Amino acid sequence: MEIEEKNERPFLNVIKWTIPVLLFCLLVLMILFTPSFQNIAFKVKSLFSGSLASETTSLVGIEKLELRSQRNINSIEMKLEKLKPVKPYIVVNTTENRFSLRNANGDTIRTGACSTGKNELLIAGNKKIVFKTPKGMFAVQNKQEDRPWIKPDWAFIEDGLPIPSARSASRIDYSMLGDYALSIGDGYMLHGTLYQRFLGLPVTHGCVRLGDKDLEVIYHTLSKGSKVFIY
Amino acid sequence: MKNKLSFWVITSVLSIFVIYALINTVLIPALSKNPLPKATVQIKDEKGKTGKVENINPKDDTIPDSLVSHNSKDAKMKLFELRKREVLLHSRLTLANEDSMYLVLDLINNIAILEMKGVSLHECRIIDSNISNSIKMYQTETLLNWMAEPFTVKHVEATIPKIVFIEKIAPKDTIEANKVQVEPAMPKLGDVYIVMDFDRNLRLVISQTEKPDAEGKKLISDLRWKYQRIEIKRTLQSFIKFNREPAMPQIDIVLPKSDATILYKALPLNPKMILRM
Repeated sequence: MEIEEKNERPFLNVIKWTIPVLLFCLLVLMILFTPSFQNIAFKVKSLFSGSLASETTSLVGIEKLELRSQRNINSIEMKLEKLKPVKPYIVVNTTENRFSLRNANGDTIRTGACSTGKNELLIAGNKKIVFKTPKGMFAVQNKQEDRPWIKPDWAFIEDGLPIPSARSASRIDYSMLGDYALSIGDGYMLHGTLYQRFLGLPVTHGCVRLGDKDLEVIYHTLSKGSKVFIY
Repeated sequence: MKNKLSFWVITSVLSIFVIYALINTVLIPALSKNPLPKATVQIKDEKGKTGKVENINPKDDTIPDSLVSHNSKDAKMKLFELRKREVLLHSRLTLANEDSMYLVLDLINNIAILEMKGVSLHECRIIDSNISNSIKMYQTETLLNWMAEPFTVKHVEATIPKIVFIEKIAPKDTIEANKVQVEPAMPKLGDVYIVMDFDRNLRLVISQTEKPDAEGKKLISDLRWKYQRIEIKRTLQSFIKFNREPAMPQIDIVLPKSDATILYKALPLNPKMILRM
């Protein structure tokens, strides 16, 4: 009998000592994962107090509040509707270099690849020039066919050329912008490109370059004042 | 005998610690504290008056049959849902009048929408989502008051940069310019894990569906550990100070990597968000 008890002791000891070990583990877990434990506590709390408390008590009061809410909802929806574009508009995604042309109802008419700013910082002595497409809401300010590009200073700096005078003929490039150009302000445009193979890549100096066919549709769909959303 | 004594001492001390930790860090914060603070703007009717039953036009006393509920609980539920919708639309209108892009998190339809001026710019499907019980448990005025105005990001951390500028020194001449010209390529998309801490005690965690690569895994686990460390520190401090606040209510969403990147890069530095749930 004594021999049996002695043999059982190590086994019982192990079982006995698992209790403090488990307690210690629980304590460590509680410290490491307090938010998860709290989450469980919130769940338990919700099971005991899942009530729909409201300041209203009577059914008539509730129904009046319902009416007021419904009236407010209708009013806000009307205001939101008024904010939406009344003309077709274009949405440009600069991360994926894609555009989506939509009608006034918000339905997509055409989607396709475009090229946006290359996010480059050109350092020329003390000058720092940023090539990026601005984000936000813009409006078409004017539309032009066969618009020549008047090269700004950075175009010469980037090519390692001397900067000519402001009225120099070397600043004019007749082919760079393609058949159509839609200006959205601050020198930024939606225009065509000679580099069709780069469509879908971020390669521009800030403008949005489009493929010839896409540009033609966009040019004829958007009018002066049409919204241009760039994100 | 000595072994027995040490067992009881250790077990007792640990039990006391566990109970103390349970009460101090779990039960008291969960049971006694409200993790959803009120918005500064309370729900108002569209004419600008704070809503009271007495303000309602007497003409409205004639209630259409469709609006009469025979069950008080159903009626309260219907009113609650209507008021939630009202709050959402009100926030949407507020943000649509601003000049920034904002995020609409529709957890009912599982869609995240990038909006500006009320126009949906980019919509993406939320593959998976999880809402803390500390938010889910409230089906009351507390929730409405919490959601009463758009949430504004106070602090954001992500494993991807908002924007990367490639620095280029201007070439001296055309020969050098030709040398530095490289074939353009799409920038590599890094693995995405974003933590946005909003005002009114809300944390939004955006992660990607795709399995991250080794580098991404490390960045993600580092960021996760950083936030977990803060909670551990708070818990340990509360053992002495006895003031553990509830953990920040959290919404976790999983999006495709490309969508998460688009949203993060498009949103301004301190973006606003509307929650539909």
